[in-house]
Amino acid sequence: MATLHVLSHSPFADSRLTSCLRLLGNKDALLLCGDATYALAQATAPLQALEDRAGRLEVYVLSEDAQARNVTLPGWVKSVDYPGFVELSIRYDRVNTWL
Amino acid sequence: MKFAIAVFSAAHAPSSRRALLFAQAVLAGGHEIVRLFFYQDGVHSASGNIVAPQDEQDIAAQWQDFIGAHQLDGVVCIAAALRRGVLNEEEAQRYQKPAANLSNSWELSGLGQLHDAAQSADRLICFGGQ
Amino acid sequence: MAKSLLVISRQAPWSGLSARESLDIVLAGGAFDLPIGLLFMDDGVFQLAQSQAPSALQQKDLTANLKALEMFGVEDIYACGKSLAERGMFPGNLNLDIRHLPQEQDISELIDRYDHVITL
Repeated sequence: MATLHVLSHSPFADSRLTSCLRLLGNKDALLLCGDATYALAQATAPLQALEDRAGRLEVYVLSEDAQARNVTLPGWVKSVDYPGFVELSIRYDRVNTWL
Repeated sequence: MKFAIAVFSAAHAPSSRRALLFAQAVLAGGHEIVRLFFYQDGVHSASGNIVAPQDEQDIAAQWQDFIGAHQLDGVVCIAAALRRGVLNEEEAQRYQKPAANLSNSWELSGLGQLHDAAQSADRLICFGGQ
Repeated sequence: MAKSLLVISRQAPWSGLSARESLDIVLAGGAFDLPIGLLFMDDGVFQLAQSQAPSALQQKDLTANLKALEMFGVEDIYACGKSLAERGMFPGNLNLDIRHLPQEQDISELIDRYDHVITL
């Protein structure tokens, strides 16, 4: 059983990413959308925290949000559009949006 | 697959637009939406009183159109709506308020409808916050 | 078999409507006899603090709603141990009986037991 965690808040303004990373199951995945995309900003602590887990955590980003913010995507992040988002929500057993 | 989609943010929030685009992709992918349930500030996404600037997306109007076009079940939590001033005719009269502003694609009901949707759906997806 | 729902309540009691409205979701589920769990984590654990005086803010006491959980058949109530400890709280001095989850792994395992989850 695995959960897709969806984050939309900036990690610099907010503790949701930190809390989420603490409780991830080993098959869980992360989808970054909205301002959570800033977690991929280069040379930052959130990016480092995600990179440290790159081998064992699937990280997705909503492509329109990365594009709008001109965020460069590391090779270990997969970009998805809305059909891709729907597909992810089916692939994982449940979706946990951090409202 | 059957989806229940819950929206917790107002129409001007990026998450409301994201929910709408997700919902459109769900149907385009051949899946079913058992219900759209609007809770917390999501009740504002069902307001018919929003005047979006000409050069901006009118997400509330787009929700209205989307629900109407696909004859979806659009439910707004009545308790959340009342305390935020989103009322239909019946509630406006009951509480003697000057205006009813719930868009006519929506129905006011209780949290039981959220639970009912979650029971029928394979996936419950929430949108809100930012 | 009914599908189960875990509600994760992360906001402090007097920071707006989140605490109240997440509790309303849980109580409604209990009223319909559905399998519902409630997890307090992050600032949500402040809802469990003893001797709060919401009348000072002209607010209703949420403790009454918490006590109603049992009457509505909601017994699976959890609190994140790390969140409590970070905030100077511990299982013995709360306003509600909860199941204490000391490890983060306990939380991912908890989430895994439910069909759906709502994190407010």
